[in-house]
Amino acid sequence: MAAVTRTAPWRPPRACEDYWSEFRHCKSLWNRFHHYYTYGASPSCQQWKEDYNNCRQWEKNRGPEAQEALQSSERKRVEEQRNFTPVWEMRRDPPRDWHLPLNQEKPQDT
Amino acid sequence: MDQTKQDEEYGYDLFPERNKGKFKTGSIAQSLFSFNHKCQVMLHFAMETSPYAKLLLSAMKNSGCKVFKDRHFSCEDCDGTVSGGFDATSSQIVLCQNNIHQQSHMNRVVTHELIHAFDHCRAHVDWFNNYRHLACSEIRAANLSGDCAFSNELARFNFGVKEHHQECVRGRALRSILAVRKISREEAEKIVDEVFSSCFNDHAPFGRIPHSKKDAKFAYRDYENRDRYYANL
Repeated sequence: MAAVTRTAPWRPPRACEDYWSEFRHCKSLWNRFHHYYTYGASPSCQQWKEDYNNCRQWEKNRGPEAQEALQSSERKRVEEQRNFTPVWEMRRDPPRDWHLPLNQEKPQDT
Repeated sequence: MDQTKQDEEYGYDLFPERNKGKFKTGSIAQSLFSFNHKCQVMLHFAMETSPYAKLLLSAMKNSGCKVFKDRHFSCEDCDGTVSGGFDATSSQIVLCQNNIHQQSHMNRVVTHELIHAFDHCRAHVDWFNNYRHLACSEIRAANLSGDCAFSNELARFNFGVKEHHQECVRGRALRSILAVRKISREEAEKIVDEVFSSCFNDHAPFGRIPHSKKDAKFAYRDYENRDRYYANL
């Protein structure tokens, strides 16, 4: 018997207020200073405002354009966060000895 | 290889109480003659209130490495000016109770060491033999813990503004490596250069470089929201 998967209906990845608060935070003096301190340039904050507008637009009329615009913007953000080659191999499981009690951890004398 | 030589090679000599404490744990002598109790209190406060620490603890729990204060943290007296360390052999974070006296410092050290623990939990980090791995985790820890925040650098009389954060991260990663491994400065610099661009851009689990508590709070908010976020991408 095939299982029926019911996915929740689409909604913006973040609450609309979150986009607005990110925009305000991005434009703040402290953040602009920190960005210059890190990257030597000003941050670009416009995308947050556009995302906020698209979010409110989607809430009003559930239009596919607003949805697509938001998805495309967020996917780009995810890509930017993955823009590097890791120097190590990721684990599939956590380290086996993480939870072992302490006196079993004593290193062997070689 | 005898134990003393091994201790020196891996930086264990900075943490002389690792295998034998001066006072019996929980004893009155420990409370009266060391900063142990103060360290425990500050640690508890950091874990409960710092958004940096809370995010890391949450991320580690979700990676299968739930952190227990009594098992995974140890307040000890340490040598010199070192503030803390991560001991991969025992899966413990060491906090130097004799060198951490302010809550803000404790918050930062806890964050820094939790980043090492997080890396240990999610990746095959060869702490002892692969200097690139060590350098990478140090770069990430200096970058993401607030070690290199403008105010902290000012307090160290390191004046610099444009892109100074990166300079600071490089410098602190270098110092951390040189403190625990016996390699030359040139060799360490070369290794840091090799991995810098990759590791500086790895912001897990924050998703951004948290320059301030507000950044960290936003990062924590994003982390709590991640199920909705990825489901609607």
